[in-house]
Amino acid sequence: MIHLDYRDARPIYEQVKDGLRRLMVTGVLQSGDRLPSVRQLATELTVNPNTIARAYSELESEGFVCTVGGKGTFVADGQSQNDGRKRELTERLRPVVQELRELGMTQEEWMSLWEGGEGHA
Amino acid sequence: MLEAKNVVKTFDAFRALDGATMTVPKGAVYGLVGPNGAGKSTIIRHLTGVYRPDSGELLLDGKPVWENPAVKRRMAVIGDDWYYFPQASISEMARFYEGMYPTFSAERYEKMKAVFPLNERQPIRRMSKGMQKQAAFWLTMSCMPEVLVLDEPVDGLDPVMRRQVWSLLLDDVAARGTTVLVSSHNLRELEDVCDHVGIMSKGRILLERTLSELQDNTVKLQVVFPGAVPELPAELKILHHSNVGRVHTYIVRGSSEEILRRMQITNPVLLEAIPLTLEEIFIYEMGGEDYAVRDIVL
Repeated sequence: MIHLDYRDARPIYEQVKDGLRRLMVTGVLQSGDRLPSVRQLATELTVNPNTIARAYSELESEGFVCTVGGKGTFVADGQSQNDGRKRELTERLRPVVQELRELGMTQEEWMSLWEGGEGHA
Repeated sequence: MLEAKNVVKTFDAFRALDGATMTVPKGAVYGLVGPNGAGKSTIIRHLTGVYRPDSGELLLDGKPVWENPAVKRRMAVIGDDWYYFPQASISEMARFYEGMYPTFSAERYEKMKAVFPLNERQPIRRMSKGMQKQAAFWLTMSCMPEVLVLDEPVDGLDPVMRRQVWSLLLDDVAARGTTVLVSSHNLRELEDVCDHVGIMSKGRILLERTLSELQDNTVKLQVVFPGAVPELPAELKILHHSNVGRVHTYIVRGSSEEILRRMQITNPVLLEAIPLTLEEIFIYEMGGEDYAVRDIVL
């Protein structure tokens, strides 16, 4: 289900997070679905249970999943997932926007990019 | 909680342990790493009550380990020289373990038969090194110990069996909160399974952290400056610096967002933060201890 790449420099918990997020975005895991328990996933991927727990709790704070005490962790509904994704992509976009501004991109160019155009004169 | 406090041990004139202090919290998977001859096996033999220290204390939940059966029956050990009786088969050793460990579970022993492709009636001495390791795991895991101490545990196991064994161990950690202390040179593998790391050198514990602390607090920066190397912000704690042409590599202590933000002042052409692997952390920390790969051409 999730693939860990041992040559990937990213820490394991981020790989687990990305793996789960991909499954949710592509619809393999749908909202309301139960995620495997920490123990199950730790055993399956052969990683420390705390690593999985960390990935789950970060996914929860980003709004992708929610934990129901004693029942398990579930995929959150689409709206809070989208909100989380939007927040994350905005953060990633920030440095790019910063750089474009430094390169002298104007508001008009920016708007034309927004509307699907070339984005530069 | 398994603790060593300021343990000193000398063999003739050699100080194998020179004030080693370490703490393995309950439920942790603690990876002990260090160069050859650092004292890893020696501290493990102390923690399991095989060696008696010259000075210092070895405690499990505050109780001394040495000659203390009540403490020792709570922990199981697979050393690099696992002991079995000369003619014994696995099932005979299982009876011995059952007598030694009140927590021994015959049910679990039966269950694990499916995992290990071994003949339990064959004398252990006639098995290969890898098969003997499997037998050791089978018996040790059947004891359901609270604390599991493993010295180079997956040495000699094939890749499938390594994963199998780790998977069993981690299931135990998740389900029962087993504390695991493991020494190994396979840092790639430790990085997946451990949550605590201790680096040992010359009979001391050089550094002891949780893995997430280590990874979140050290960053590798790759930077290209537009011109000459500028004055770097003084707040940055730089552990190491090297460069290949115009690409400068810095190992910096601190969180990556913070460091990236501060580095923006230097107007770099390229600035990239790469998380460090355990192997790199090990190499950089040991480099400070004057232990590094030397460029020698033979």
